[in-house]
Amino acid sequence: MKPTQPNSLLLATLDHLRRFAPFDRMEREHLAWMAQRLSLAYYAKGEVILSPEMGVVSRFFVIKQGVVQGEQNVARAADADAWLELAEGECFPLGALLANRGVSSVYRAKRDTFCYELAAGDFHELARVSPPFQDFCTRRIASLLEQSKQVIQAQYSQSSSEQQSLSSPLSAIIRREPVTCAPDTPVRQVLETMHALGIGSMVVVEELPSPPAPPPAPARSVPAGFPPLRGDHGETGEGRTNSLSPLGGGVTPVGIFTLHDVLNRVALAGLDLDRPISSVMSQSLTTLPPQAFAYEAALEMAKHGFRHVLVTEGERLVGIISEKDLFTLQRVGLRQISAAIRNAADLDALKHAARDIRQLAHNMMAQGVAAEQLTQFISTLNDLLTARIIELACAASEGQCRVGFCWIALGSEGRFEQTLNTDQDNGIIFEVPAGMTADAVRADLLAVAKRINAALDACGFPLCKGDVMASNPQWCLSLEEWKETFSDWIDQGDPEALLQASIFFDFRALYGKAMLAESLHAWLGQRAAANPRFLHQMAANALRNRPPLGLVRDFVTGDGHTLDLKLNGITPFVDAARILSLAAGFGHTHSVQRLRLAAPRLNIPKAEVEGWIEAFLFIQLLRLRHQHDECLENREMDNRIDPDSLNDLDRRILKEAFRQARKLQARLALDYQL
Amino acid sequence: MSWLSHLFRPKPALNSEELARLEAWRHLAHPAGSGLASSRFVVVDVETTGLNLARDRLIAIGAVAVNRGRIDLADSFEIILQQSAASGKDNILIHGIGGTAQTEGVPPVESLLRFLEFVGKDPLVAFHVTFDETMIKRALKQFLHFDFKHPWLDLAYVMPGFLPELANRHRALDDWTGHFHIRNYARHSALADALSTAQLFLAATQIARQKNIGHFKGLQDVEKAQRWISWAS
Repeated sequence: MKPTQPNSLLLATLDHLRRFAPFDRMEREHLAWMAQRLSLAYYAKGEVILSPEMGVVSRFFVIKQGVVQGEQNVARAADADAWLELAEGECFPLGALLANRGVSSVYRAKRDTFCYELAAGDFHELARVSPPFQDFCTRRIASLLEQSKQVIQAQYSQSSSEQQSLSSPLSAIIRREPVTCAPDTPVRQVLETMHALGIGSMVVVEELPSPPAPPPAPARSVPAGFPPLRGDHGETGEGRTNSLSPLGGGVTPVGIFTLHDVLNRVALAGLDLDRPISSVMSQSLTTLPPQAFAYEAALEMAKHGFRHVLVTEGERLVGIISEKDLFTLQRVGLRQISAAIRNAADLDALKHAARDIRQLAHNMMAQGVAAEQLTQFISTLNDLLTARIIELACAASEGQCRVGFCWIALGSEGRFEQTLNTDQDNGIIFEVPAGMTADAVRADLLAVAKRINAALDACGFPLCKGDVMASNPQWCLSLEEWKETFSDWIDQGDPEALLQASIFFDFRALYGKAMLAESLHAWLGQRAAANPRFLHQMAANALRNRPPLGLVRDFVTGDGHTLDLKLNGITPFVDAARILSLAAGFGHTHSVQRLRLAAPRLNIPKAEVEGWIEAFLFIQLLRLRHQHDECLENREMDNRIDPDSLNDLDRRILKEAFRQARKLQARLALDYQL
Repeated sequence: MSWLSHLFRPKPALNSEELARLEAWRHLAHPAGSGLASSRFVVVDVETTGLNLARDRLIAIGAVAVNRGRIDLADSFEIILQQSAASGKDNILIHGIGGTAQTEGVPPVESLLRFLEFVGKDPLVAFHVTFDETMIKRALKQFLHFDFKHPWLDLAYVMPGFLPELANRHRALDDWTGHFHIRNYARHSALADALSTAQLFLAATQIARQKNIGHFKGLQDVEKAQRWISWAS
């Protein structure tokens, strides 16, 4: 066919296709090439479009209008055993086309449907010439997620475009070379330098010994003293030459002195200004490599209450990141909140901090921080808040906290998956000192726990409806009692026990004697892995909760045409992760970590696991956004969304995410022969 | 009495190249068969200066081919015939072809030759054939000086013939396309309407298959029968 000037029909087809991924990202030229080769076919309601019997797939389909459903079980195809539903703009069957095989499912028109169709040869040619198309076909979910993230960023970041993302590597954020001095420098000289340069910190360094033999000169010229591989991090390095001695092997940090220290350690202490700086510097340093992300630095600062993080490559100092560097534009800083929590003297201050945590979560969404980091932030801050509440409660008690105990977080809090709306799930593990009974210890701790639960409630963590709280005598137990309880559940394996296990087996230490939680984890890992029957029951139970794909229009919806993102979206992943992790004998509670760590042990390909993780995180992000919006509108927060309220892209990704959940469940079913 | 002088004006002759193209078209072989799943059909729609079959002029032709039961998007045709004067404002508002586009269109002889070459000898399909057929016939008579005798199929009769239970409520093209959820990217653009009509034709073909009608002739029979019913009722 000779290249023709596209007529209005081809142009209209281009416009139509461009409303959908991946066509929205493809070069116009490639899209026009494709449009010229498309044919349009009609499938009446109920007609089979593709089936395994048809052999190797010869065409690529894009739905122009209508709905197509995939049916996994060919024998029961008519029983509405739909596993996917495809709507306008969606493509199929990618896998079969790429693998040059037949489809494994029946594709049937669910309504009168028109499909654009492209011959398989043209499909392969298009995938060869068009990177976005290729990308879409091979990494469908990953590339959709990336687009969604960009859309979200655009939505939230009207004014923060200049703000550096918290997902940038530290190497891209380091603003200036660190000012350094030797440990024997007099304090007076350090103060004068800091004053003259207007800086807030001085890094105290020692020369690193020169490398024993100089390495062979690299092919390209690297300025002496630069850390090796610096150019490979993709940063420009512009204006960022470092101040290290060009002759030596660089310097290594041994301490830090900040303006903050002047008051306490110099002025108030009446220090002799001729003393060496080493006598007043802080020696506990937080260091991160240049490849670490900004949010990691922020987390370190929040956890430890520092204002600076040193960037080191090996032992060599390459820069310093201050809190200001990270949050210059942010209204509510992570560290300010954590400092406020740390210094809070009463419940009112903590309530205020709790509000700030939610505000910060919004700001971070605006920066496009991914769900994984966002939930990590929220969890970190909520942990601090909880710890401070416990501290204050213990301080106010009359010696009831003397015995060793560990406050444990359970459920989603235990998995670091807190969203903006999380009710309390907690418990206590305690030691029984010689000469005391468990009941006596419990009586003491329950009184304090009651106040702690009430304070958490006041800070926006509603009391648990199921009474899974430390103030419930059932969940305030000695280490031995916990082991007995867990043993009972594992041995019984009835529905009640399985439900409890799904909440309590995700425990982690939050405050107090972490050793108690660790030994319980170690014990549980062995006990569960040694009991395949129990894992089998857990798997069977998990498979009862199917992802809501496909019967009515795109999704199976419940009350008022809504989906429960927690029950139907998150839970299948969380349940499967728990079982895989327990089977592998690991003590982690974080679902993403559980999946990543358990996969190699169970021979699950990395790409498959990453697909699950991305799907899981996407649903988390949707939950966060949904709750955030509800919060802005002063509505009660929940996990129910109307799929029609999502934009096209997100709706499709959500469907894909549910498909991933189904895959994960299929894997579980295979492993446990269910 | 300008229309009288127009009537008696000597017909402009075709140049030799144009005559050769017309002759070539005349001598094209007729398609061997007319199986719905194996042949080519051309679905057509026209835009005119108005609805008067005797006086109004042809402004645009849109056509979409259906090959072996599928619409090949590239096998489509769209042309605007050059007008000596633009049609009225009310008319322009319907089809959206502005005055400049009309006066800068393709000269009528060239337009119509291209149309014939696009169609070949394949059967034509339209919704309310009388209108499209008359306008095209008249233009061919006026500019190419020959009688266009061609097989046509009218979906306005085939559809109610196939789905009599809908016949009372479904009369216009929009009613039928609406029934099959067929959208139109630009209603009253000749090519967009031709595409919608072609999609309707695919749906009709599908129903024909269920009724064991495999050939164009079978569809023409349905049309004929329905014409009798409409006339009798």
